[in-house]
Amino acid sequence: MARTVTITVDGATIQTAEGSSVLDAALEAGICIPNLCHMPSVSPIGACRVCIVEVVDDGRRKMTASCTLGARDGMVVEAHSETVLRARRHIVELIVAEAPNSRAVQDLAARVGVTRSRYPMRDKHCVLCGRCVRVCDEVWQSKSLGFVGRGGDRHVALPFDKRPDLCKRCNSCVEVCPMTITPCPGPMAVPGICGLCESQTSMVENIPDTCVMCELGRGFQCARWQLRGLLAPA
Amino acid sequence: MSRLVEVSDLASCREGLTRERSAWPIRVTLSGGTCGEASGSTGVLKALTTQLHKDGLAEKVHVRVTGCQGFCQEEPLLIVEPLDVLYCNVKSEDVSEIVRESLVNGRVVERLCFVDGASGRTVQRPADLPFFAKQDRELIGHNQSIDPCDIGDYIANGGYSALAHVLTSMSPEAVIEEIRASGLRGRGGGGYPTARKWEQCREASGQERYVICNADEGDPGAYMDRGLLEGNPHSILEGMMIGAYAIGSNQGYVYVRNEYPLAVAHTREAIEQAWDLGLLGERILGTDFSFDVKVARGAGAFVCGESTALMASLEGQVGEPRSKDIHTVERGYLDRPTALNNVETWANVPRIISNGSAWFAGKGTDQSKGTKIFALTGHVKNTGLVEVEMGTTLREIIFDIGGGPQNGKQIKAVQTGGPSGGCLPAALFALPVDYEALSAAGSMMGSGGMVVMDDSACMVDVARYFLKFLKDESCGKCVPCRVGTDRMLEILADFAEGRGTMEQLDTLKDLAWAVGAGSLCALGKTAPNPVLSTLRYFHDEYEAHIRDRRCPAGVCRALARYVIDPDLCADCGQCVEACPHGAILEADVYQIDQTLCEQCGLCAETCVVGAISRV
Ligand SMILES: Cc1cc2nc3c(=O)[nH]c(=O)nc-3n(C[C@H](O)[C@H](O)[C@H](O)COP(=O)(O)O)c2cc1C
Ligand code: SF4
Ligand code: FES
Repeated sequence: MARTVTITVDGATIQTAEGSSVLDAALEAGICIPNLCHMPSVSPIGACRVCIVEVVDDGRRKMTASCTLGARDGMVVEAHSETVLRARRHIVELIVAEAPNSRAVQDLAARVGVTRSRYPMRDKHCVLCGRCVRVCDEVWQSKSLGFVGRGGDRHVALPFDKRPDLCKRCNSCVEVCPMTITPCPGPMAVPGICGLCESQTSMVENIPDTCVMCELGRGFQCARWQLRGLLAPA
Repeated sequence: MSRLVEVSDLASCREGLTRERSAWPIRVTLSGGTCGEASGSTGVLKALTTQLHKDGLAEKVHVRVTGCQGFCQEEPLLIVEPLDVLYCNVKSEDVSEIVRESLVNGRVVERLCFVDGASGRTVQRPADLPFFAKQDRELIGHNQSIDPCDIGDYIANGGYSALAHVLTSMSPEAVIEEIRASGLRGRGGGGYPTARKWEQCREASGQERYVICNADEGDPGAYMDRGLLEGNPHSILEGMMIGAYAIGSNQGYVYVRNEYPLAVAHTREAIEQAWDLGLLGERILGTDFSFDVKVARGAGAFVCGESTALMASLEGQVGEPRSKDIHTVERGYLDRPTALNNVETWANVPRIISNGSAWFAGKGTDQSKGTKIFALTGHVKNTGLVEVEMGTTLREIIFDIGGGPQNGKQIKAVQTGGPSGGCLPAALFALPVDYEALSAAGSMMGSGGMVVMDDSACMVDVARYFLKFLKDESCGKCVPCRVGTDRMLEILADFAEGRGTMEQLDTLKDLAWAVGAGSLCALGKTAPNPVLSTLRYFHDEYEAHIRDRRCPAGVCRALARYVIDPDLCADCGQCVEACPHGAILEADVYQIDQTLCEQCGLCAETCVVGAISRV
């Protein structure tokens, strides 16, 4: 059994198992650190960098992803410092400009207070979060999907572009994909972050960086969705 | 040579080897590294062997083929001893003359000697080369006396005595202390104190530990590590053995990039010879220390030089970096404690042990000790591998050793630290080679690439070039690096092609910061450096591109304008014929319609009186 350690996230004291991820610990304690490639019960890869935080050690600050950061006793983490917010917003601005046609991505942008992007919009179908790859490999032991290519050529593919025998047709890959969680009604119908997909974009004009009950949180371990489930009439 | 079973065997073996070598009456040294081979050293060697046999001199003349000696633009180099003369750019046709004049008659063939461009002087002795004069060739200098495929040469030159000393009279802790006292820091880029890395590795929990030599060297234009590994592989093996003894490891790996076949071959040969002599294997020199080394060939990606990606690749997985919140000294190769060091770092180790930490710490600056090898390239007269004492100024390297600008141009900047280093302007050439000084100026030591640029270079274009390299080499795993470098490049393209806005300049600065702050590994974290440093020192060039739609160096093609000087124009009308776009108008005077012009430059090439120029 791993030792229980105490860490501090945004000033709140949290107890968690040593080595468990700071992101999981914070989410369980109801502190939202925005995230995208993270998924419960599969291993983190630290790809989207949305969950970045600052670890404060002896006055020195180091920025790193909280999903791949193992909790150590006495660790002090700031998930919403000015520096973190500035970097996180820019990273999400990059992501939303790659693939604006997803409600999950637009919600994420709304959650961190991004309502426009300074970059020309692209219309990609994948943000390379790798959720599908890992759910297939780690939950179903199927390895039917993988990353192929380097840099700008990186993409998710079936081995030799054919559905392998290992595939159990479970459809998990589609279910966990942020691009398929309520996609936009018309690809690039309106340029920019339009909110047509009923994303929470309009909420953030006045109150950035608050919970928007984002689509990514539904079904995963976001405490607020769970709470809403508990409180809702049967 | 017979197996060395005890420490004392090494000394007697060396004695025999030295005696044998001092009996060679005439010695010819030919540099045959990758650069030498590319310039024809193989042909020279063949011609030389044939000639010596023909003249019956094969017994009398000892020919040694060595690795790179540093002066790569003059390769192949040939040194004749005891005449002590150096010939440059030797060709097979020169061989019979060299044999007749220098080997038989003891005369110098003047026409093959190096002529110093600055003074016009002919240089005969290798030691008098101005290129070498200001260098401190502590590491690379040994290449000259060592045939990399002959362990005998290495031992005759004092090789493996540091190992013997360490195994017999130093505790592992004492070795680490000695390295600490020397002030040795990593030569692979970060400049991390080597002793601290070893100590952390030694103290990390685990049964098995590993030492790895990073010879991935993916920087374009850099080949310091190739020069060392190819030219003196045993010095790296010895360094690794000493390191392994210090941290408590029995297994090492040399991770070499696949594009270095000669380095791979020489390292393999060296390992085999060390095994045969008992310098690798069980109970080395009769002590309790056992060690083996394997060569692993890199997958050919720049990012595989990054420590976590390298170890993943070594494990047979995809060479992608992982989060380094737990360091590789604790959980590295196979999740076990691993000490990864650069080739040059390892090569320094035996010399520190042999000469003492005080000797090493006596060289260099306060924080940066010893020497550093740079690959000097670009717009200078002399290019090649340059090894200088830390603290040497950039000016000394570029002007005294590099010989200054070519064809009377002005030197404008130098890029140090490889693609993710920074561009420093000529005004800062008084900066010393020192980890902290270079970082503070917005560049870095990096592994040692040094690209000199004269005023024909456009800094926006330079930033674009290095950034493009990094974008292509990004593994693509994390968003800031994969998407961020792409977006930075998109903005730079807008600047270079005349679409830029000042708002984009602000976005670029903000993005450069975010990519540096948010990326997963050091490739992404340092990727904005070329942009940040050129923005810092050459802001006016960016503004000229954006505000005036003008490229001051005339490099960015889309911004170039061709104009006809009416005073020079001879009214011949040839340019009108030459222009494929019909952009030249015939009015009172000939004029170029800029809206039609595609900047191909054909008109300027056609004009016989030189009236058309690019502005
Ligand atoms: C993208 C990238 C490429 C690198 N390439 C090399 C390389 O080719 N050779 C090298 O020695 N170190 C390289 N490094 C640095 C290594 O990660 C590591 O810091 C170094 O090998 C440690 O050795 P040292 O302490 O002796 O410098 C690279 C780092 C990054 C981020
Ligand atoms: S910073 Fe670049 S190279 Fe490093 S993990 Fe991220 S994408 Fe890959
Ligand atoms: S959630 Fe941590 S990097 Fe994506």
